[in-house]
Amino acid sequence: MAFPYTHPSETPVLSRGWGDPATRTIEGWKALGGYEGLRKALGMTREEVIGEVKASGLRGRGGAGFPTGVKWSFMPKEKRGPHYLLCNADESEPGTFKDREILRWTPHQLIEGCLIGAYAMQAEHVYIYCRGEFFEATQVIARAVEEAYAAGYIGEDILGSGVTVDITVFAGAGAYICGEETALMNSLEGRRGLPRVKPPFPAAIGLFGMPTTINNVETLSSIPHIVKHGGEWYRQWGTEKSPGTKLFCVSGHVRRPGNYELPLGFPMKELIHDVCGGMREGRSLKAVIPGGSSVPILSAEECESCTLDYEGVIQAGSMLGCASVIVMDDSTNIVKQVRRMVDFYAHESCGQCTPCREGTQWLARILRRIEEGKGTEEDLETLVSLGHQMTGTTICVLSDSAAAPVESSIMKFRDDYLSLIRRGEKVGVA
Amino acid sequence: MSGWTTEKGGGTVPFRNPGFAGNTGEFELTEDQVRGLDYVGARPPEGGHPGGVPTYPYMLVEKEPKAPLFDGAHLERYEKIRSRFPDAQGALLPVLNLAQELRGHISPATMREVAGLLGLSEAYVRGVATFYTMYNKRAVGRFLIQVCTNISCNLCGGDEVLAAFLDELGIELGATTDDGMFTVTEVECLAACGTPTAVQINARYFENVTPKSVSQILERLRAEVE
Ligand SMILES: Cc1cc2nc3c(=O)[nH]c(=O)nc-3n(C[C@H](O)[C@H](O)[C@H](O)COP(=O)(O)O)c2cc1C
Ligand code: SF4
Ligand code: FES
Repeated sequence: MAFPYTHPSETPVLSRGWGDPATRTIEGWKALGGYEGLRKALGMTREEVIGEVKASGLRGRGGAGFPTGVKWSFMPKEKRGPHYLLCNADESEPGTFKDREILRWTPHQLIEGCLIGAYAMQAEHVYIYCRGEFFEATQVIARAVEEAYAAGYIGEDILGSGVTVDITVFAGAGAYICGEETALMNSLEGRRGLPRVKPPFPAAIGLFGMPTTINNVETLSSIPHIVKHGGEWYRQWGTEKSPGTKLFCVSGHVRRPGNYELPLGFPMKELIHDVCGGMREGRSLKAVIPGGSSVPILSAEECESCTLDYEGVIQAGSMLGCASVIVMDDSTNIVKQVRRMVDFYAHESCGQCTPCREGTQWLARILRRIEEGKGTEEDLETLVSLGHQMTGTTICVLSDSAAAPVESSIMKFRDDYLSLIRRGEKVGVA
Repeated sequence: MSGWTTEKGGGTVPFRNPGFAGNTGEFELTEDQVRGLDYVGARPPEGGHPGGVPTYPYMLVEKEPKAPLFDGAHLERYEKIRSRFPDAQGALLPVLNLAQELRGHISPATMREVAGLLGLSEAYVRGVATFYTMYNKRAVGRFLIQVCTNISCNLCGGDEVLAAFLDELGIELGATTDDGMFTVTEVECLAACGTPTAVQINARYFENVTPKSVSQILERLRAEVE
């Protein structure tokens, strides 16, 4: 049951128990069948656990959608030193607000997922990296960890299985880029959060130089259910290539914004107009960003037939990302909103790569010029060509993310830009 | 299996660092505050802020300015944090967090003290401290009001909420009121986009904030100090 709104179309797997403070306690979580997945996993071999995750087809919920079971199998089987599992709770992608809800409503769900993952990949230590602003959520998860230690679920010899796993809750200090997996590792090591050049990949050389796997909060929270009921069970929802349920964060100009847990492949039209109550009185849909601010913007027509699974959104011309659906109605000044997103990337660029460090600033300055009515049509060509130079040329994809909304909005909402530019021309003449 | 060590920086590092940041006192709230519904803010479906929720006692520790950075209970917390990480460098962020909790901001002098404590160079600590936005590089008011103006909030009036705070307090963006009570800044997405506008005041989130609720929030904060 999602919170604060619910809808009959929802398939509450992860969001079961949200809104009920009792679920946060170990007893409350066990009442919902919690820690049974862990118990079952400890009775299986590591390969069997990974096999079950592979069979479920679960794909990473942190943005890239990489199959989780496959990712887990990259970890070396022979141990030469400690292995680490990192939980990415640095949720800061504009439009995304699901991990915070998982952390504060069902912390034990996440802990259980972390423990199963750690067992499968022979990691002795799990770090849960929470973004620094999450004082409350961090507090709740830290309490839950303490509780689980006391109950023997974390620490030495978990449930008498001989397996030892420790969990540390870590609070960041405010930097979007620390959500990038290698930047997060640097941050945990007490450095500036600069993404690392890959390869080497984290499964070979990660945190403290050791084999490391990193997963999103929602990904890890799905694991207990998959292990408990089996991979096939998870496939009752979603599509062949995108199985399972997903938390959709809907924000912007809808009547009932919020988190809704729905099967992947759900029609976007139905999500916006039915589940979220549609647009405000007298307004119509103008544009949607389907996966958080880092993905291309879709026009209202493109949303018509778009289904919300990884492939469906690509087909419509964008990406599912972390399923953060930002809805804009016809009152929206697209140029202003794109400029605001670019300001964000300019602020958050870590500064290692020239195309990103300089490019984001240039994009922001040109967009501001257009917004203020001082732009020219040539500026649009400059923006597009800048975007091309910023794509695929940097260490991480923050640079590509900054360019995506700019280019797509110029393509799809050129008239919005032109009307600002023309207004500027008139001002110039007078 | 607990004999593993890591070769790092010329020394061996034990891999096992049991425990969790949660019991080092960073998150010391009462059971009520953590579990209570009021604490997470029962969000009224029709918008508007429920009110009645206090901010955290963050950055409010009264201290002798000349006293050492950590002493007494805080020194203990520092040592606990230090023991959670295989090397001193790993503890840098949590230690800076603790320093900010005590001093309200991280001044060059504080950076020097932290560097000395952890055996890191001052330049290194400075490099890290200035990278992260949550470390205040200069003193802020007793209440640091950060308004999200990123896309989802902006679509629903984030800019207007920011303007209302500035208007009501009669200050410029980034400035502190003369009485040292309030500093207002803009902030990037707080991951509360479904309840716009999101405002973070010290450690607490205020959600569903509208320009109309601004004066009410300020009144409550003032009352808290009295
Ligand atoms: C700039 C940038 C920011 C990111 N921010 C986040 C984030 O806040 N949370 C997250 O889970 N993943 C984030 N990611 C994705 C992670 O790098 C990584 O792919 C993900 O945590 C892997 O988990 P998954 O396989 O479970 O999806 C970000 C990536 C980039 C490039
Ligand atoms: S692309 Fe940008 S954020 Fe990513 S590493 Fe390069 S400069 Fe840093
Ligand atoms: S956009 Fe304001 S909280 Fe996300």
